[in-house]
Amino acid sequence: MSITLPTYSRLEIPLLGRRERLWAIIATGLRQGVRRPAAIAITVLGAAFTTITSIILLFLSFLLPAGQGTGLSFFAVPASNPFVLFFVSAMAAVIGSGLIADDIQSMAFTLYLSRPITQLDYLLAKAAILAPLVALVTILPLLLTALVAAFLGLLSWTIALEAMGISLVIGGLLTLFYTAVTLFLSSLTRRKGIAAAGVFAVNFGLTIPAGILAESIQNPSILYLSPWNDYLAIANAAFGASGAGIDWPVALAILLGVTVLAALVTYVRMKAVEVITG
Amino acid sequence: MNGVVEAAGVSKWYGEVLGLNAFTASFGQGITGLVGPNGAGKSTLFKLLIGQLRSDQGNITLLGENPWNNVPLKRRLGYCPEQNQLYGWLTGQQFVEVLLRLDGMPAAKARVEATAALKVVGLSNAAHRPTRGYSRGMRQRAKLAQALAHHPEILILDEPLSGADPAGRVHILRTISDFARDGGHVLMSTHVLYEIERITNNIVLIHNGKAIAAGNIHAIRALIDEHPHAVRIDTAKPRQLAQALARMDHVVSFEFPASDTLVVRTRQPDAFYRELPQIVSDTKLEVHGLESPDDSLDAVFRYLVG
Amino acid sequence: MLVETAGLTKVFGEVRAVDDLTVKIPDGAIGLVGPNGAGKTTFLRLLLSLVRPTAGTAKVLGRDIEDGVLVRERIGYMPEHDCLIPDMTGVGLVSYMGRISGLGRDTAMSRSHDVLQFVGVEEERYRKVAEYSTGMKQKVKLAQAMVHDPELYIFDEPTTGLDPRGRTEMLDLVRTIAKSPGRNVILSSHLLPDVETICKYVVILDGGHQIAAGELSQLLAGATDRLRIDVRGDREGFARMLNEGGFDADAGPTGLHVARKPGLEAAVFETAKALGAEVRYMGKEIRSLEELFLELVARTEKRGA
Repeated sequence: MSITLPTYSRLEIPLLGRRERLWAIIATGLRQGVRRPAAIAITVLGAAFTTITSIILLFLSFLLPAGQGTGLSFFAVPASNPFVLFFVSAMAAVIGSGLIADDIQSMAFTLYLSRPITQLDYLLAKAAILAPLVALVTILPLLLTALVAAFLGLLSWTIALEAMGISLVIGGLLTLFYTAVTLFLSSLTRRKGIAAAGVFAVNFGLTIPAGILAESIQNPSILYLSPWNDYLAIANAAFGASGAGIDWPVALAILLGVTVLAALVTYVRMKAVEVITG
Repeated sequence: MNGVVEAAGVSKWYGEVLGLNAFTASFGQGITGLVGPNGAGKSTLFKLLIGQLRSDQGNITLLGENPWNNVPLKRRLGYCPEQNQLYGWLTGQQFVEVLLRLDGMPAAKARVEATAALKVVGLSNAAHRPTRGYSRGMRQRAKLAQALAHHPEILILDEPLSGADPAGRVHILRTISDFARDGGHVLMSTHVLYEIERITNNIVLIHNGKAIAAGNIHAIRALIDEHPHAVRIDTAKPRQLAQALARMDHVVSFEFPASDTLVVRTRQPDAFYRELPQIVSDTKLEVHGLESPDDSLDAVFRYLVG
Repeated sequence: MLVETAGLTKVFGEVRAVDDLTVKIPDGAIGLVGPNGAGKTTFLRLLLSLVRPTAGTAKVLGRDIEDGVLVRERIGYMPEHDCLIPDMTGVGLVSYMGRISGLGRDTAMSRSHDVLQFVGVEEERYRKVAEYSTGMKQKVKLAQAMVHDPELYIFDEPTTGLDPRGRTEMLDLVRTIAKSPGRNVILSSHLLPDVETICKYVVILDGGHQIAAGELSQLLAGATDRLRIDVRGDREGFARMLNEGGFDADAGPTGLHVARKPGLEAAVFETAKALGAEVRYMGKEIRSLEELFLELVARTEKRGA
């Protein structure tokens, strides 16, 4: 018989690897991130609203005497659902803006980096928290719309599957773009309100003025400045529709370029941050 | 009624939150250490003394006067707050000068006094660098300089040593000692008890908004009956010595923590020390070392506050 | 060796924060002291592999700091500044950190409760960290450093902001960890008496260099072996009587100092009895770490000036 007193106790277990460590950050981040009522509301509303409106838009596009054949090109309409723009901004602002900013504000960043992970691991995990939630608005509605259309016989299954595939790609691109830009903005400041404002500025601040300006001076090239218009150009081209006004290869290059640049700059800045103050 | 600080039944509440609760004490001559757990009421006491707050009940006077709305009194005191945020873009010199001028000092005189004060605290070399580049110890010294620059009668210092490196701590303690030696009074709060003991034996112990003890550390210690004084004696024959010491009727217990150590507990330390040399000399027992480990501020704090 | 460096250098712009540092730090409880700007913080960051050296190499627990992840697996770091995630509970935060260190979810949770118990956080562990007092926050900081049972603990000013009781509790915890076999502690602090009571070996940095290092007992051995006596009563007379008795005594501000000789201790009490004086303290004249430190730093300043 022996008595084990609760004094300092030792732990002799081998440590789990990188995947489990990152998963801990992602799982906890998702749980924390969606805990707040605002976050739940935005996510649920966003997914539901965009899905429903996408489906409605698809039906409407069938009813209009567009004079085009049925098929894939119809899908350009739900893919251009402007509510996506709104809800992505809202999600990035409510959920994404604090992902890094909060850690800078509380200086918890030091704790993360004193753990056996790298800055890259930290960023990847944070991205993996935001991306799935954004995808609920950028990808999920389109997939569901294609499924519904196929089930109701409005589209053949082959076309529906093709639409789903394309949705994954362009929705994925949009997701990556917003994830990268939001994380970048979140890493610039300790006040997540500022990061959120930044997201809105990037979206509406660029989109609306660009649209107005392009109209008034009759120069569509200005539309390249607006991420939403770039996305529309790509979406239209992908679904074989026409009438975006700007060339999709350039738009694609811009979106990809900004995504990669934002990610890179975020990473480089993280590495350079003085982790411990004082 | 001639303490530097006289407080009688002083209470101050922030809504439901306790600041001070019937705090009564008379203290402040020379250097006084203000000690207590976090939240005990130290900051409230300071704010009352510098006239930033008014008490809800009771009277408090500093140097014989009521501090509330008392501008002339404010000129006689120098206050060093706890927080470390200085105006980062100002240099040390500018910082002290600006505060002097806000006090009403003419610009030329302010410059002279600021330079002198910065010299006293050892910041002359760094005086023309912006304070944002100062280490924490340097900021503490800058705050001390602005508290000293108008030659006050009393210094009120809230955690003046926190964050300072060893050289900085020694320098600040020396500055405080010199100030007291030249006739000034100092009231300082700190959590690092052995540092107070280095410069003074006078303390005020605050807990739950009340003054639990005020005065000389050793006198306070002697009053704490439930904890008889422990004296640790290094000797080759602890048990024989214990037998000899047992004659003294104020001795309450013996412990033998090691084969060459005796710990005696006595209710009357003065009597014990008075009688010890006789006993040691008579018994011819060899005593190699002698120490009273709990006649310290740390022990007083532990016994009274827990 | 706990830490071995060779020519370790880190330059920030014009500042050589750590300058060609070559040290060998043994296992155990190590004190790291130095003035502000000495390079302590940068040195710790280098050991944690949070910054890359400009030049030189270092090994911590036998692992090169090149591989930061591998090094940090075996280190627990308690930073000086606030760093807790305010929206998490104490137990949630500690187990979260445990998982990021590679503990499984259940192990992390079980271990989290154990260490929180050890540091003295009771029911508060279920409340959000934002509501904690300073003392509780420091304890949670310690708990998150302990949860994965690292071989090396790095404590940076662990008693900042703690009241006297909190300080005693924290130092007791640090001491218990330091005494635990197979566990090492680096304690970086400006409070030299704290370092003295916990650490056996001390490294003193200044200007990015190591200006002294060694076992505390050796560093502090008095140049002459003297006895220090606190006398209440006629101190001058006391010293005089001892001198007449053939001893070498002098009455200074911190007490009487007498060179050791056989029969000294007995003579002290005889003298006290004869004069009716009291002996309140009798013990070794040991230099304090603080005196040594100030001496060394002054010497370095003189050399550099």
